Amino acid sequence: MATSPRGVVDHSALKVNQTGIVATVLVAFIGSAFFRPALVLIPMLAVVLLLGTFAPQLALFKQLYFKVLKPRGIVRPRVVQDRPEPHNFAQGLGGVFLVVSSAFLLPLPVVGLALALLVAVLAFINLAFGYCVGCQIYFQLGRAGFIKATPGTTGTV
Amino acid sequence: MATQLWALAAAGAVVLAAAGLELWRSRHARARALGLTATSAARDVEPYILYFTGENCSVCRTHQEPALAKLAGVRIDKVDAIAERELADRFQVYTLPTTVVMSGEGKSLNVNYGYAPATKLERQLADARGANLRVNATA
Repeated sequence: MATSPRGVVDHSALKVNQTGIVATVLVAFIGSAFFRPALVLIPMLAVVLLLGTFAPQLALFKQLYFKVLKPRGIVRPRVVQDRPEPHNFAQGLGGVFLVVSSAFLLPLPVVGLALALLVAVLAFINLAFGYCVGCQIYFQLGRAGFIKATPGTTGTV
Repeated sequence: MATQLWALAAAGAVVLAAAGLELWRSRHARARALGLTATSAARDVEPYILYFTGENCSVCRTHQEPALAKLAGVRIDKVDAIAERELADRFQVYTLPTTVVMSGEGKSLNVNYGYAPATKLERQLADARGANLRVNATA
C-alpha cells in the first residue's frame, strides 16, 4: 500500500508506478513498429491502472515496489505527508485514457497510440518534475464542486 | 512505422499546444498579478516577499523555507493559501509554494509559481530595490 490512514504517501511507490507506465507505453509504441501484437500492452496497462485505482493491492507496479524493490533496498522509501486521493484520481484518469486509447488501436491506430503517448508524457512530467496534472484536475473539479475534494497535497493547492 | 510517426506527431502537437496554453495562462496570471497591491501588507520602503504555503506542502518545508531563511533582513509575510483564499486567488496561486516579490509600496513585481531558489529571490529583490531607487531619484 502506498498510503496509511494517517494521510502519508510513499512517493517512491508513485515514482515506480510512473516509471512502469512510461516504460510500458514506450515498449508498446516502439515494439509495435516491428511486432504489431506489442500493442496489446496498452489495454493491459489500462487494466493494471484501473485495477490499482480501485484495489491498491492489485496495483502491479506499486506491488513490485513494496514486495521487491523496497525490501531489497533497490529503491528507498520516501514517505511524505500527503493525501492519496489526488494520486489515485490521476492514476484512474490515466487508466481511462488508456481504455479510450485501446478502443482506437484497431480502427484508428494513430489516435490510439497518440493517446497512449500522452498518458506516458503526463506520467513522465510527474516523474521528472513532480507536476501531477491529474492531481491538478482533481482539485479543479473539487473547486468546481464536481467531486468532493479538499485542498492540500505536495506541491499543489 | 508510419503509424508510429503520425502518432508521435499528433501527441507532440497536443503537448506543444498544452505548453503554449500554459505559457499564455501563466503570463496572463502574472500580468494580472502585477500591479495589484496586497491589502494585508504593510507599506515599508524595502521590498518584501509574500510567501504562499499550506499545511501539507512538503516542498515548502524542505526547500522553500530554507531558501527564504537565507534572505537575511528581508521581510517575509507567510500566507496560508487555503485560509486566505481571496489573497491567493488575486495572485492566481494554484501551486505551492508560490512567492511574490512586492515593492515597498505594495506592488507585486515578480510572481514565482513553485519553488524559487534563494539566488533567484535575491536577484528579484535587488531589482526591486533598484527600481525603488530610480523612483526616489526622479521624485
